[in-house]
Amino acid sequence: MEKKTLRNFLICGLILLIVSLFPLVSNNFIIRFGTDILMFAIIASAWNIIGGYTGYASFGNVVFFGIGAYITAVLMEKAGMHFGIAYLAAGGGAALFAVLIGLPVLRLRGHYFAIATLGVAEAMKALVQNLEITEGNSGIYLPMLDLSIQGQYYFFFYMMLGTLVMTLLVTYLILNAKLGYSLIAIREDEDAANSVGINTTLSKTIAFALSGLFTGLAGSIYAYQQAFLKPGPAFTVHTTVKMIVMAVFGGMGKLFGPLIGAFGIEIISETLSNYFLVAHTLFFGTVVILAIVFTPKGLIDLITQRKFGISYFVENIREHRI
Amino acid sequence: MAILEGKNVTKRFAGLVAVGDVDFYLKQGEILGLIGPNGAGKTTLVNVIAGVYAPSDGDVYFKGKQISGKKPYQIGRMGISRTFQVVRPFPGMTVKENAAVGAMYGAGGKNKSAKEAIRRAEEILEFVGLADQMNKGADQLNVASRKRLEMAKAMAMDPELVLFDEVMAGLNFSEIDQAVELIKKIRESGMTILIIEHVMRAIKNVCDRIFVLHHGEKIADGAVEEVLNDENVIKAYLGKRYKELTH
Amino acid sequence: MLLQILINGILKGGLYALMAIGMSLIWGVMDIINIAHGSFIMLGAFTTYWLFTIFGIDPFVSLVFSMAILFVLGYGVQRYVINYVIRASAFITLILAFGIEIFINNLALVSWSADVRKVKVAYGAANFSLGNWVTIPTIRLVAFLLVIVISLIFFYILNRTNLGRSIRATSQDLDAARLVGVDVARTYAITFGLGVGAAGAAGTLWSILFPISPMMGGILTLKSFVVVIIGGLGSMLGPIIGGLALGVTEAFGTNWFGSTYANLISFTILVLVLIIRPKGILGGAD
Repeated sequence: MEKKTLRNFLICGLILLIVSLFPLVSNNFIIRFGTDILMFAIIASAWNIIGGYTGYASFGNVVFFGIGAYITAVLMEKAGMHFGIAYLAAGGGAALFAVLIGLPVLRLRGHYFAIATLGVAEAMKALVQNLEITEGNSGIYLPMLDLSIQGQYYFFFYMMLGTLVMTLLVTYLILNAKLGYSLIAIREDEDAANSVGINTTLSKTIAFALSGLFTGLAGSIYAYQQAFLKPGPAFTVHTTVKMIVMAVFGGMGKLFGPLIGAFGIEIISETLSNYFLVAHTLFFGTVVILAIVFTPKGLIDLITQRKFGISYFVENIREHRI
Repeated sequence: MAILEGKNVTKRFAGLVAVGDVDFYLKQGEILGLIGPNGAGKTTLVNVIAGVYAPSDGDVYFKGKQISGKKPYQIGRMGISRTFQVVRPFPGMTVKENAAVGAMYGAGGKNKSAKEAIRRAEEILEFVGLADQMNKGADQLNVASRKRLEMAKAMAMDPELVLFDEVMAGLNFSEIDQAVELIKKIRESGMTILIIEHVMRAIKNVCDRIFVLHHGEKIADGAVEEVLNDENVIKAYLGKRYKELTH
Repeated sequence: MLLQILINGILKGGLYALMAIGMSLIWGVMDIINIAHGSFIMLGAFTTYWLFTIFGIDPFVSLVFSMAILFVLGYGVQRYVINYVIRASAFITLILAFGIEIFINNLALVSWSADVRKVKVAYGAANFSLGNWVTIPTIRLVAFLLVIVISLIFFYILNRTNLGRSIRATSQDLDAARLVGVDVARTYAITFGLGVGAAGAAGTLWSILFPISPMMGGILTLKSFVVVIIGGLGSMLGPIIGGLALGVTEAFGTNWFGSTYANLISFTILVLVLIIRPKGILGGAD
């Protein structure tokens, strides 16, 4: 292995170690906050696979989250299964759904793909609201985790952490394999990608399935953690907004972009709600607007370009304004 | 032995006949030129061969097997690669990565891992003379280099047949001569080439045979000098490239 | 009975159509998918509500005010916010729209609380009947007629005025329009203003017929999508056809399957249309 790659791996390993030890020195509130950040990092990173790397900006990825959550709820509550099985089934189910819905929907491009995925998510929400097995709008309960309160906090934190590591690892492996090249080629020029011998339908579908898989796993943990699920929150478009904003804010098409974005957005959100109890979402909206106008390429670009001066922002605006 | 054969190839678009009843063949190792005025149907014919369009009538055979109607990526993997008239590099990737994609997914791709494909890409870039720009972003190249990259991508696919669509457009005389040398080198390495061109200087220096399309129909087919002096061909071009044709 | 359902559907569909006209204009001309569309509808609704509650202005009269106010708002948002990122990927503009939606919705929430409100006009209960088959609430009919009037006004502006010509020119080719002297920044801002003004009008009419609240925008944005997709981009008629189609489908769907299935039907139609015929019923140039 190249020296640089080895060094990068070691740095990541170190950071991972520090993060793993983090719950042991924090109170439960902070552990929960960290767990939430990890959850968003997972779904934003999963979105990045289909949105950032393949260039197919899905506006309905929350559907995988909700499917993962509901598969877990139904299997555990109605079929009495163990969480481990439900977790795997949730991921598998979400991935399978991605393949099925991907077949017709991945043939669309750009805006149409975005809206189609949005429609799928909303349709699924409406469907779940009407099904008996999911208890519709009344909500479905899940069995409680049989651990101490402290243990529960630890459990969910490490589950999310493990899932995030898996997501990023798989993404990394893809990027260095042929599949990764094919996805980027599709993003840059799908017709040229076809001509060069890439089976774009296959590549896109795999990307979408992976995106669904990891999002579904996150949804599964979320369901268990919440212990109570309703279709509205599970399938809300607000989750989609957050995951996309995080991915873009951190850096689309970059491995750690979504993670940094999730971290940044959640910290900003939390700080705002501490200072402005009532209007924090309002300021959140303002932050999103400003962030997009000034750093459309994301934080990672800002960091790697090393231009911390005003000129960076002015350049961006000049490039993008009418 | 004909490596590529087209029989009665026709392509219609909602009533307009872009390519009408065209027969052609290429022998292994030949360089066949395809010329004709703008709008004659040359790129459409190449698109039919490359699988972008299925022919409305007629068939295309590659090494004896029928390929008409197959998808572009399938044809690419069978051993036919093509360049685009308006070059289409992958802007978000480096020159090396661009060529590597060809190596990964072309006819030679099945047996290559990502690393091997990248190595093959470096070889190809060396071959076309882009080795010194390997790590530049593809969008930072000048016109001549972009044309070479386009050719490199096609070559990296390890094809047996290459379709070059106006690779000389926009090049100055010395760049044209270099491109002609490169094409000859490519033929010498064992490939068969179909080349669409407007630049007569290149046609004269590189083709074994040429055939001419006009309004979608073949109006001449044969040795270079013969065809270029053919009355019908001159008439088709009259006013446009008449001077070039006769100098 | 069937006729009654049909009429109900058409009347509601007209309202959907007006909502979608604004979105279709913005999308068709500037290639912007205005996620915040519903928020502007909501603002139009509340403008009417407050003018009615505080000043006693009749809601139908307030139509003029709400359209004007929303036009100015839309113009400002486009010119001073969106124009700064418009040349970045369409996607960036989308996220900006998300941000704007969050901002507007929460500003309303903070200012006016989450309470559901209703514009109660004295003549609200009036209706008339066509024989024994159909009863039409007067306000719904008036609203429908106003939709037609406003649509005609938009059609006139876009096709018969110089302004409309500039708008159509910039939508076809931004740089070419700039070269012939069109002030594209201003044209885009005006277009957005018109689109948002239409949303405001839709909001006003909505407030007369249905209850309103600061969070009402979200689902209306989604429904506008469905309408625009079904009807197709590129003409004024598209949203009208799409709106009527959605209104009627919802009316019959609600009647046969119950109201909880209404959304499921709408979104399934959306997905099916996109898969089978993305250009929609009247879809022309994209």
